Amino acid sequence: MQNSKNKVKAPTFSSIGKSAPKIEGVQKVSGQARYTADYLLPGTIWGKVLRSPYPHARIVRMDTSRAKAQPGVMAVLTAADIPNVLTGRRLRDMPMLGGERVRFVGEKVAVVAAADKDVAEEAAQNIGIEYEELPAVFDPLVAITEGAPQLHERLQDYKGLPKLASAINNVYSHDAWRIGDVERGFRDSDHVFENTFNTQHVHQSYLEPHSSVLSIDKETGIIHVWMSNKVPYNTKRSLSDAIGVPAEKIVIHVAAIGGDFGGKGALMDLPLCYFLAQRTGRPVRMIMTYAEELMAANPRHAAVIVMKTGVKKDGTLVARQVKAFWNGGAYGAMKPIPSVNLPGAVKAAGAYRIPNVKIDSYAVYTNSVPCGHFRSPGMVQLIFAGESQIDMIAEALRIDPLEMRIRNAIQDGDLTPGESKRGMIDVKCREVLEEAHAVSNWKTFKKAPHVGRGVALSYRNVGIGDANARLSLDPQGIVSLLITYADTGTGAHTILCQMIAEVLEIPFERVQLQVGTTDSFRSEAGTGASRVTFVLGQAVLKAADKLKALIRQHGAEMLGVSPDDLILKAGRVTVQGGDGRSFAFEKIAAAAIAKGERVEVESYYEATETPPEGVFTACVAEVYVDIETGQIHLRQLNTVHDVATVLNPVGHQGQIDGGIMQGVGYALIEELAMEDGRVTTLNLGEYKIPNIRDIPLLQTTLVRGKFGAAPFQSKEIGESAISQVAPAIANAVYDAIGIRIMDLPITAEKVFRALQARRTEDQGTVRR
Amino acid sequence: MARLKLRINGDDTEVEARETALLLDVLREGLEMTGTKRGCETSHCGACTVLLDGIAVHSCVVLAARCEGKEITTVEGLSRDGELNELQRLFLKHGALQCGYCTPGMLMASTALLRRNPRPTLEEIKVGLDGNLCRCTGYTGIFEAIQACAARAK
Repeated sequence: MQNSKNKVKAPTFSSIGKSAPKIEGVQKVSGQARYTADYLLPGTIWGKVLRSPYPHARIVRMDTSRAKAQPGVMAVLTAADIPNVLTGRRLRDMPMLGGERVRFVGEKVAVVAAADKDVAEEAAQNIGIEYEELPAVFDPLVAITEGAPQLHERLQDYKGLPKLASAINNVYSHDAWRIGDVERGFRDSDHVFENTFNTQHVHQSYLEPHSSVLSIDKETGIIHVWMSNKVPYNTKRSLSDAIGVPAEKIVIHVAAIGGDFGGKGALMDLPLCYFLAQRTGRPVRMIMTYAEELMAANPRHAAVIVMKTGVKKDGTLVARQVKAFWNGGAYGAMKPIPSVNLPGAVKAAGAYRIPNVKIDSYAVYTNSVPCGHFRSPGMVQLIFAGESQIDMIAEALRIDPLEMRIRNAIQDGDLTPGESKRGMIDVKCREVLEEAHAVSNWKTFKKAPHVGRGVALSYRNVGIGDANARLSLDPQGIVSLLITYADTGTGAHTILCQMIAEVLEIPFERVQLQVGTTDSFRSEAGTGASRVTFVLGQAVLKAADKLKALIRQHGAEMLGVSPDDLILKAGRVTVQGGDGRSFAFEKIAAAAIAKGERVEVESYYEATETPPEGVFTACVAEVYVDIETGQIHLRQLNTVHDVATVLNPVGHQGQIDGGIMQGVGYALIEELAMEDGRVTTLNLGEYKIPNIRDIPLLQTTLVRGKFGAAPFQSKEIGESAISQVAPAIANAVYDAIGIRIMDLPITAEKVFRALQARRTEDQGTVRR
Repeated sequence: MARLKLRINGDDTEVEARETALLLDVLREGLEMTGTKRGCETSHCGACTVLLDGIAVHSCVVLAARCEGKEITTVEGLSRDGELNELQRLFLKHGALQCGYCTPGMLMASTALLRRNPRPTLEEIKVGLDGNLCRCTGYTGIFEAIQACAARAK
């Protein structure tokens, strides 16, 4: 299914650039890998919650007597039994249990503990709650109007409220960027296009539901946590604030994570596990059912995007104004960045040089599920809007859509909104588009009836943040890396071991990796934003260099020479050009230990500014549309990726293929359907993600640049493959049948209705 | 409660379970064999796939009591003396897994497919793995691993 056309020259490294097998792979294919739910502590009991059936209601009274009287029930807690503290990753706006009021269908209102899961579940359902419904609002455009119900009257008092909050009703974050003067830009344009696009809620659909296991050590009072969570330090701090226990008393153990895609960073049930453990003296686990996942986790934001673009007759972009209204749901608690907005908003103008840009990004409260991050958050929605509109403009101006993109492509030195002040370097935007042109036979493609093709373009950067690494050499000659970053499946841990093997010039098999608890280091950012290979990679590279120097120093002492006289090769230090005397790493470690020393180093790396290298991606989609049913048959996706050094080709390709297929699901089938704020697609049969039958022919082409911010001149790939898929398909559908779908997903029903409407219109014209 | 006699990965086991207990729960909770994963619990995702007399089933919808007298195979039964089998090795080589949560089920479904059809066509692979979702890989590595395994079939 996969044809990879790799234009990259073979690298000259020993470990880097090889498809080293996943270091945790053997465990994963033999069933030995331990995910949170696999930690079965003796005496563990279950926690199960009761959730609100109303989108917005006041709780009039609660009756827990029946549940409490039920045999086997060990604890029943409501808001009255726990501290009145609001929680969140940045903005602390979410109650642990709804007390006086609930703001979405699925909000937790009570929790029950029992040794038996079914007993806990049944008892939770036996809690009687009387609600008084309040007026609810679901549409962000309605929520921002003055008369709309206000969801958070005390917004100004919330901890973590961004300075960017606004006076607009229900807006808790307004992020903005300006370049030039858009009004003047529109005046200087020959044509101005303004369109509104809508995107849907979608769930990350990791197969492992949110799981939490918490145990309190009776002697020390230390709280041990295992959780499907990729940001252990943030979780430790948030949990500490939520339960009022000092952070030093909390240890987070990093378990294997069964898929993340941005969704596994929030506290979820963890504070409730603590309160139940505290009441019962037993370890507690809470595992969300998939129905709970789909109704009340933290899906991708639905959005309304107003895109206004001014162009010259020749297709030159002059100005772009973007207004994004994110349907944030009832709480902003799931969003990790300080602006409590979506990081992709800064890319709203696309991969183009536009002298006048104005972006306004509003996070809006509504009575629906609180939203969070999902692979390239914000960008996925905005690139759909922006890249659909570029095609609409190209058609109006009678310019080839690929040519229009090439004409406006970002170039070296360009300053983009909010990004590097140094200007971008080693930009491969034009090359990526030209390659897409070539590999898709763009000009010579013969169009059959109802077959069409569409192109889309996007760019992004690696994320910033910090990371720690500890590296040691043992008397067996094994180099051990200790980190606290989770590998969510991307292969990041394997790549780190490859880096160490490369620097120390040892076989990959001699590097081991251990994931420590949060006691290992003070703090760090954690997995997300495609930062891992960059910031953790740089920390590991620094540690490897330090360890190399330390080994050399020890070797020099043992051999009675200067460290400069030594070379490291194949796990030995050898006197250069001399008598060939040498010591194996094993001996050096053993000698150091005999002296009471450890051959161990530690390093820390922090990036505070977005690096100037972008990652450009182009996608060409080919579809056939059945005009009788509206069904879209996605035949092929040609994607072109701008890379520098590829660290692990199989892992790299896996990120591309996985990202693309999530893009396909987003474009065509996925939608958390809602009725009055109630999610109606409550299982993976109703909420459809692509299965193995949905793969089109995928063709990957890599275009090589020289520079990347990550070690060995590498670039991010985790999030860059997804955003351009939906607009490429939308543009292909238009090319095939002349129907422009501006709200995702592009379902057969929407296409069918649009075709029907057109037929009716045509008949009307004929009659006139 | 009932005492169930189950034959799992060639070993006879007895386990205490409720009459209505599901095979997935008996494996994971009763026997602490956690290789088989709990995913959607509604028979859509396939993370819990095991073999029942060689046929791939979703253990989240199979009553454990109905499995008495049948041969149950789980992911733990694929390796022999700690050595991975060929399909497991090919999954690693071709990047057929990322987070690994679908992997036990995907391996069991693939095993069932390759046992009854050692050289499946592309279409037959699609039918064989129709009941198993993977959110990470885009399925391409899984295809490649199964095709590579089929190519080696004698």
